[in-house]
Amino acid sequence: MTQAAIAQVRQDCCEALSGLERQLSQLKSDHVLITGGTGFVGSWLAEALACLNDDFQFGVKIYILARNTGRFQSAYPHLADRRDTTIIQADIRDFFDVPAKINWIIHAAATPDNRFHSSSPVETMNVIASGTMTLVKAVDRCVNIKKFLNISSGLAYGPQPWDLERIAEGYTGAPASGAVSSAYAEAKRFAETYCGAARSQQRLPIVTVRPFAFLGPYQSLETPWAINNFIRDALTGNVLRVLGDGQTVRSYMYGSDMAAWLLRILTDGAIGAAYNVGNPEGITLERLAQLVAERFNPRPEIRLNASNSDARHHRTIFIPDTTLATTSLGLSIKTPLPTALERTIQWNRAYHAGSAKVAA
Amino acid sequence: MPAILISDPTLRDGNHAVQHKLTLKQIAVYCDAADAAGIPIVEVGHGNGVGASSLQLGESASPDMAALRMAREHLPHSKLGIHMIPGFATIEKDLKGAIAAGVDVVRVASHCTEADLTERHIGFARENGRTVYGVLMMSHMASKELLAEEAGKMESYGAEGIIFMDSSGHYLPQDVTERVKTLTTALSIPVGFHAHNNLGMAIANSIAALDAGAAMLDGCARGFGAGAGNAQLEVLVAVLERLGYQTGIDLYKLLDAADLAERELMKNVPSISSLSIVSGLSGVFSGFAKPVARAAQQFNVDPRDIFFELGQRKVIAGQEDLIIEVASDLAKKKVNSLLEAA
Amino acid sequence: MTKPSEKLKVAIIGSGNIGTDLLVKVLRSQYLQCGAFIGRNLSSPGMAKAMSLGVQVSSESIGYIEKNPDCCDLVFDATSANDHKLHAPILKRLGKIAVDLTPAQVGGMCSPAVNIAECLDMPNVNMITCGGQASIPMAHALSKTHENIDYIEVVSSIASRSAGPATRRNLDEYIHTTENALKKFSSCARSKAILNLNPAQPCVNMQTTLLAKVDKPDINGLTAYFKKVVERVRKYVPGYRVLVGPLLENNRVVIMVRVTGLGDYLPAYAGNLDIINCAALAMAEEYAKKMAAVGAKG
Repeated sequence: MTQAAIAQVRQDCCEALSGLERQLSQLKSDHVLITGGTGFVGSWLAEALACLNDDFQFGVKIYILARNTGRFQSAYPHLADRRDTTIIQADIRDFFDVPAKINWIIHAAATPDNRFHSSSPVETMNVIASGTMTLVKAVDRCVNIKKFLNISSGLAYGPQPWDLERIAEGYTGAPASGAVSSAYAEAKRFAETYCGAARSQQRLPIVTVRPFAFLGPYQSLETPWAINNFIRDALTGNVLRVLGDGQTVRSYMYGSDMAAWLLRILTDGAIGAAYNVGNPEGITLERLAQLVAERFNPRPEIRLNASNSDARHHRTIFIPDTTLATTSLGLSIKTPLPTALERTIQWNRAYHAGSAKVAA
Repeated sequence: MPAILISDPTLRDGNHAVQHKLTLKQIAVYCDAADAAGIPIVEVGHGNGVGASSLQLGESASPDMAALRMAREHLPHSKLGIHMIPGFATIEKDLKGAIAAGVDVVRVASHCTEADLTERHIGFARENGRTVYGVLMMSHMASKELLAEEAGKMESYGAEGIIFMDSSGHYLPQDVTERVKTLTTALSIPVGFHAHNNLGMAIANSIAALDAGAAMLDGCARGFGAGAGNAQLEVLVAVLERLGYQTGIDLYKLLDAADLAERELMKNVPSISSLSIVSGLSGVFSGFAKPVARAAQQFNVDPRDIFFELGQRKVIAGQEDLIIEVASDLAKKKVNSLLEAA
Repeated sequence: MTKPSEKLKVAIIGSGNIGTDLLVKVLRSQYLQCGAFIGRNLSSPGMAKAMSLGVQVSSESIGYIEKNPDCCDLVFDATSANDHKLHAPILKRLGKIAVDLTPAQVGGMCSPAVNIAECLDMPNVNMITCGGQASIPMAHALSKTHENIDYIEVVSSIASRSAGPATRRNLDEYIHTTENALKKFSSCARSKAILNLNPAQPCVNMQTTLLAKVDKPDINGLTAYFKKVVERVRKYVPGYRVLVGPLLENNRVVIMVRVTGLGDYLPAYAGNLDIINCAALAMAEEYAKKMAAVGAKG
């Protein structure tokens, strides 16, 4: 990773966290554990905590649980080598001894990569279900625990009805039962309910978040999601291919906003509550492709792949209602989508600087 | 016209105001008056329920079973109720005897986050054909969602209704409305509310509970209860009449019963003392007022300081022993600061 | 330092938090060695901990001891009252000393600071309840310095998080057992036990208050005697600390203690669980010393 890429992420974090110092001050000098440190969510949280320590003198001790510490080390050397950071190598399913000092836990261990969910649905469910159960049992013995943030998924709501503009936390949909395609969502749903049961029976201070879709640095452009494909294709000088008629609706939250929201929900979220985390402003994939294309010169071509007349049946929508987080915790989107796109493109250029694949 | 079930804990909660010294004779005369007035449920016993007579909480002048038998004899029409808190009372020592003494209504209570302590006691009362309600005390210490979860546990154990108590007199009407709405949505059994008057809101809060869907209310003659007292029963019933609710209570006879209660049961009619206001604000159980005042005197510290410190420590009913510790800590701090100043 | 072979071999049945905490204590003991750590589920956290400490584990429950009787001379039972009632006759047949941490009340009641010598002759000892372990030393001191104790009341507050579903379901049994133990150890006419579960965060430490009515209170005598008892308790429960008293308040004798756990495997606030484990360990070590003495003579 280049210094420019590292510096940009820090800059983003500073911006997203500024103004929240007072609300987050409960974290000062405390010990924070992040499970799933290698993932998008985990790495942004580590970046945000590092920023709070370096730029706001928080003195947080950061513990990152990773199944493969070598991978964390090579992907984030600037984080792995920090003196305030301890990397713990363990499979979450065997993580029986949470350090007694830990005050805050952010449980982010699970891959959101839907290719892995398709090929390894058993492993997907096992890591989420069994990992959460082990962690919650281990936390039972932590004396100093102040809050446990369970990172679930917006997918736990099941498919969003086309005529529902946004999904609010009270929505009671569910993934299709027994379907292989439900493996990830159903496991997340199970984990949420398990956390609810443990909160009630073991009296643990657990809060849940349901993340939707994100973009930004650390999002691998190889994952087959529309936004990543558009950026990758634009960076490599290819045509932007939009599946379907382009009327599918998504929304994206930038990584640093996500990290700031998660930390704020960690410190002040109500025990037992669940909060949507994401961008409530939807955008069609066609418009998204245009927004990406506008940022390149020459402007890449956009091609809709609507195969036949019933394309509208393939339209989907996935947008959170974030009223709860915005009204009860005063959270807001600081990085609107156009800015988020600019930064993501810029970071990927910096990150891949020198790589032949990326066009200027 | 909507009906509302009134429960009268004058002879139970009122015991707090007289250090649990209500006599069998006092129980008999009030029961006569309450029965004549048609009060549906009359609760009798130690302030903290059966099995709670203790040095920690105060010893009853009337042993539980004698009190219940006396009340039963003088309540030909009204139902006889008890309050019981697992951790103080047990099935073997207390509940069996109470049922044998003719109790109709068993209210099994726990701190608002500890409903799972009541499983066996609710089950036993139900299996023995008694009407059984779950009671969540100090309910302001849980969010409305958690309160509904705990109430749901009691419902699953077989409770036929849930009463939540404002044990510290901390609520404002809006707080009560939100909680009743959440509870009635989450439960399929009736919801009741037990108000305390520390901030002068007992009647207003009771009416807010009704408007939001509560079906049961507690009230005591002259508000006879711990500290600032409870919702004043005769005022509550009068207000309910104006609002057009049916309680089945004869207002004139109820007013007579209240006059009798004032004359026969009370040394002082409850009033909102400065200390009660502090207990309401700090969210500490009103029953702590007397032991706090005593400890304040013994250790020569400000009772208001004791209350706010107890509130900080999230003390719960039954932890009266902490009062001495807090008072002695405050006294030590006072001495230390005096020494430092010198 | 004694060689491992001279230590008394013990087994622990029950691989939950209590059994695992006990294992950590046994491994630290100069007098005991762990021959087997036995549960039902090899993938439980307790088992993982035991394996990581290099201890022989088994998921065969009591069957393991029946098949391998040489694995131990003494068995800590940290399962449940119902299970111990099944285990007790088997252990008796095999000639194993049983230290019972459940409320089964098969064996004699043991409070090490009070009756450890007497318990040495028993093949099965019961560790009563957490409130019992905290309060019996107080009740004992009271009975040694006062005649005609009319009434003893013991109020314990524990952190809500430290009380699992079994403790909650068996609240009545806790009360009855503690009350019986108070009567046995103090010969008081009446006793009462009260248990409060406190949900406060951060978790409160276990606190136990003794309140008593006696004919002629002798606070000075009681204070002097209790001091000696506390020293004995602190030898095996280092976190046992007197907070208040003995004093006379409102014409009743008051003593209040706090128990902070060692935090071996259980969290430190769970002094209520730690005190039972500490007492069980003290009892087992006493057996070990006795056997070593007998062995040395023989």
